Amino acid sequence: MVGPARGPLGDTVPRWISDEPGEERGLLEALGLSDVEELFSDIPRKARIGRLGLGAGKAEPEVVAEVDRLLDRNRPYSKFANFLGGRIAPRYAPAALDALLSRSEFSTAYTPYQPEASQGMLQALFEFQSLWVELTGLDVANASLYDGATATGEALLLCRRIHEGRRFLIPASLPWEEKSVLENYATGPGLVVEEIPWDASTGSLDLGAVDRAVASGDVFGMLIDVPNGFGHLDEALPDLKSRLGTIPLVVSADPLALSVLAPPGEYGADIVVGEGQGFGIPPAYGGPLLGLFACRRELVRASPGRIVGATVDAAGRPAYTLTLTTREQHIRRSRATSNICTNQSLVALGFVLYASLVGPRGLAELERRLSEKARTLASGLGGLEGLSAPRFNAPYLHEFTVEIRRGSALEFLDRLRRRKVLGGHPLADPRPGRPHDAERILVAATEAVDDKAIQRYVRSARAALESVGVSA
Amino acid sequence: MSFRQARWDEPPIWELAAVPEAPAAPPPIPGVPERLRRTRGVRWPELSELEVVRHYTRLSQMNFGIETSFYPLGSCTMKYNPKVSELLARRPGATAMHPYQPEATAQGSMELIWRLERALAKITGMAEASLQPAAGAHGEYAALLMVRRYLAERGDLDRRTEVLLPDTAHGTNPASAQMAGFTAREIPSSNGCVDLAQLRASLSDRTACFMLTNPNTAGLFESEILEIAEAVHSAGALLYYDGANLNAILGITSPGRMGFDVAHLNLHKTFATPHGGGGPGAGVLAASERLAPYLPIPRVVRHGRTFRWDYDRPKSIGKIKTGYGNIGLDLRAYVFLLSHGEEGLKHVARRSVLNSNYLAHRLSALLDRPFRPLVKHEFVLSGARLRERGLRTIDLAKRLLDEGVHAPTVYFPTIVEEALMIEPPETESRRELDRFAEAFERAIQDTPEALHRAPQNLAVQRVDEVGAARHPRLSWKDLRAAVAPPATAGPAPAPPPPKP
Repeated sequence: MVGPARGPLGDTVPRWISDEPGEERGLLEALGLSDVEELFSDIPRKARIGRLGLGAGKAEPEVVAEVDRLLDRNRPYSKFANFLGGRIAPRYAPAALDALLSRSEFSTAYTPYQPEASQGMLQALFEFQSLWVELTGLDVANASLYDGATATGEALLLCRRIHEGRRFLIPASLPWEEKSVLENYATGPGLVVEEIPWDASTGSLDLGAVDRAVASGDVFGMLIDVPNGFGHLDEALPDLKSRLGTIPLVVSADPLALSVLAPPGEYGADIVVGEGQGFGIPPAYGGPLLGLFACRRELVRASPGRIVGATVDAAGRPAYTLTLTTREQHIRRSRATSNICTNQSLVALGFVLYASLVGPRGLAELERRLSEKARTLASGLGGLEGLSAPRFNAPYLHEFTVEIRRGSALEFLDRLRRRKVLGGHPLADPRPGRPHDAERILVAATEAVDDKAIQRYVRSARAALESVGVSA
Repeated sequence: MSFRQARWDEPPIWELAAVPEAPAAPPPIPGVPERLRRTRGVRWPELSELEVVRHYTRLSQMNFGIETSFYPLGSCTMKYNPKVSELLARRPGATAMHPYQPEATAQGSMELIWRLERALAKITGMAEASLQPAAGAHGEYAALLMVRRYLAERGDLDRRTEVLLPDTAHGTNPASAQMAGFTAREIPSSNGCVDLAQLRASLSDRTACFMLTNPNTAGLFESEILEIAEAVHSAGALLYYDGANLNAILGITSPGRMGFDVAHLNLHKTFATPHGGGGPGAGVLAASERLAPYLPIPRVVRHGRTFRWDYDRPKSIGKIKTGYGNIGLDLRAYVFLLSHGEEGLKHVARRSVLNSNYLAHRLSALLDRPFRPLVKHEFVLSGARLRERGLRTIDLAKRLLDEGVHAPTVYFPTIVEEALMIEPPETESRRELDRFAEAFERAIQDTPEALHRAPQNLAVQRVDEVGAARHPRLSWKDLRAAVAPPATAGPAPAPPPPKP
């Protein structure tokens, strides 16, 4: 076989493929072959390809240099006073977390289909499920889905399995990406995602609109997010289930917020989903993320995703295994509750590591401190002309919405960036032709935000707004 | 063989500390009304960092990974995950990047995405690729949504409601088809391959799409692929490529060249990103000219040296997840691609196929091989003969674990009785293949009693999976509620499992 020439660090390819002299020839001889090409005689000539134009392989130092060249073109948020947030939270994770996640027994393992060989990962996932159950006040959690948005999609499908109807209600303030994902999940079964407008003053759900939608019938589920797409808390949350009656309620909740807020299970949520990346995983330009999913016990056999259960081994000692697998695609095929196979196990491990390293009191304390920073920023910005901060008169934790009244949100953020401030992200749907009624941005606080960063934001915002005034 | 896994009897984390039933409520946050607040704290242990580190270190020692054990799982492509990828994926320029950062601050990540998408489009022989799917099944689902939209635009969706697939297809295929609103219909295979006559007879103006893996899950290359593509297209349907088995054909043939219209890839298989104990993966969608306009938004586009996100794709299916994909893993795949280059990728395919044929040859003396001898990156054995000794494939699988190697994929594909599906990727040396063959021989020649009793050398003995499903205890909350542990009738045979 003609493999590429190689050396430990020189030539081309790294030593990821064994090439002891004579090794490949020996393998061929054992098969009675002289050329490896004979093993491809079943691929028709007409289906063969010529050169791809990918270039030659590189030795490790060259690869490092090439990737570093690309990464050097990035300007990480750590170089700025950073106020980006939303579902993806650029928070700090204790160093112990990555050290444990990097253990190759976890990171290079496959799905624990052989439970005897995989007790470590299975127990860690069982602990992860238990933690999400404790945070949400529900009964059963799965071992993760792709991200918060796809978890809402799976929740929509579960609602339809347990309730008749064609209409699924969501807040109009839901992040546009999640709306788009939900619309996709609704497409197959021919369902409709319907937006409930917000109250102009609080940004919370217009409860009259909820009542009217429910009264007109055909609703099979409703989603509400905590905090909502504006970063605020809806005070009507505890009363929502009574308005819905038997219609399933899905709550999409921020896990850090749940360290201080009432568990949704206590106010009637049937399903609680969430984005779990903020617990220990860096944003990494948007992935991997972590889809959190919990539901009431009665729904478990209709629910999506892998689930770990406690059991015993042949000697009667405690053990863990994947269970209720007859819901899943590898057994049930087209009648499975979901097509999901690969999930986000390692990120789920990161989630339980984060909560365990920070501790339950630590989580609540972190949320309290971040909320305080957010309030300090809001009061600083609140005094400026040309914007409204916070835009909505509703409670909030570590994030809130600012409305830019002078110039566009994008211009405003661009001016801040030039002053070393990442001032948040625009809430508008960027697709051409989508409604764009106001210039709103979502602003969030992280551990890295200190008084200096807040002052810089306020100063830069003032300058940015004044320069709009000047150019106008 | 003297393999012994660690056995720590490590309790669940909440047993490491005394957790109060009702921890004190967290201090109130100004402005948050009382009715929204927690009345008691989160019930979770307060542990020192060392206690947490020790707990999870011990758990890790009760888990197989590629770096502890050969992992010959068919269709999973458990190859070595290079360390240099891990190093680079942890650079601040890769991790401290928020997806909503302004484009001007993310040019490096955007260039990486652009370069990787173009390289993957070349490798798949497609017009464009998107990194947005989080995993393979997610890519399948997105591809079928694209097919849906394409057919709708053609005015053809009302009648084309059926997705055809062979009975050897991964379970995700029919499940994705169903979720995308199609009816999945399986076609019986013949000698492990698509039966062209059966396929032709099944195709009609109701067919939206035919989903196929090539090489297929029996490890065989579908040699009639060009005729298959022709038949599917003349029926007005589309051809979908499940890329789980791409490793065998890297640089030799491509989905595009074979006539597929849309494909998904698993970067966590073919491109060596770690599986993470079940995820995260990284899926790729690749589409031909006619389906490319339907790819998810945004698309990264290049203007000179500058990259920007383009949301103006009116035909796009929109978003399938938050952000642009599992970029942290995509970076690792890019490292794999750069390191190997074009010749290296071909070498990957050749060596994986050579390894597979060699191991198949060695093991065929021990168990029956149901189909033709020439295989690609994986092969299937039948454990039916074990029945003569009162054994099942699962017993052999468990006995293999005792040898310190992971078991093959078992009971899949379902067309093979008592199937074992074995994939030795290119990163395994001949020495390791020989060791595995010897372990396999020892295992199969061991006494039936020993096989029934296996495993003995791991943290636990055979796990009662049936009991787990019958009396579900799915969290700490359930354990607290359980009055007594469920009665168990000893080890039960595992339910027919895994599609990797």
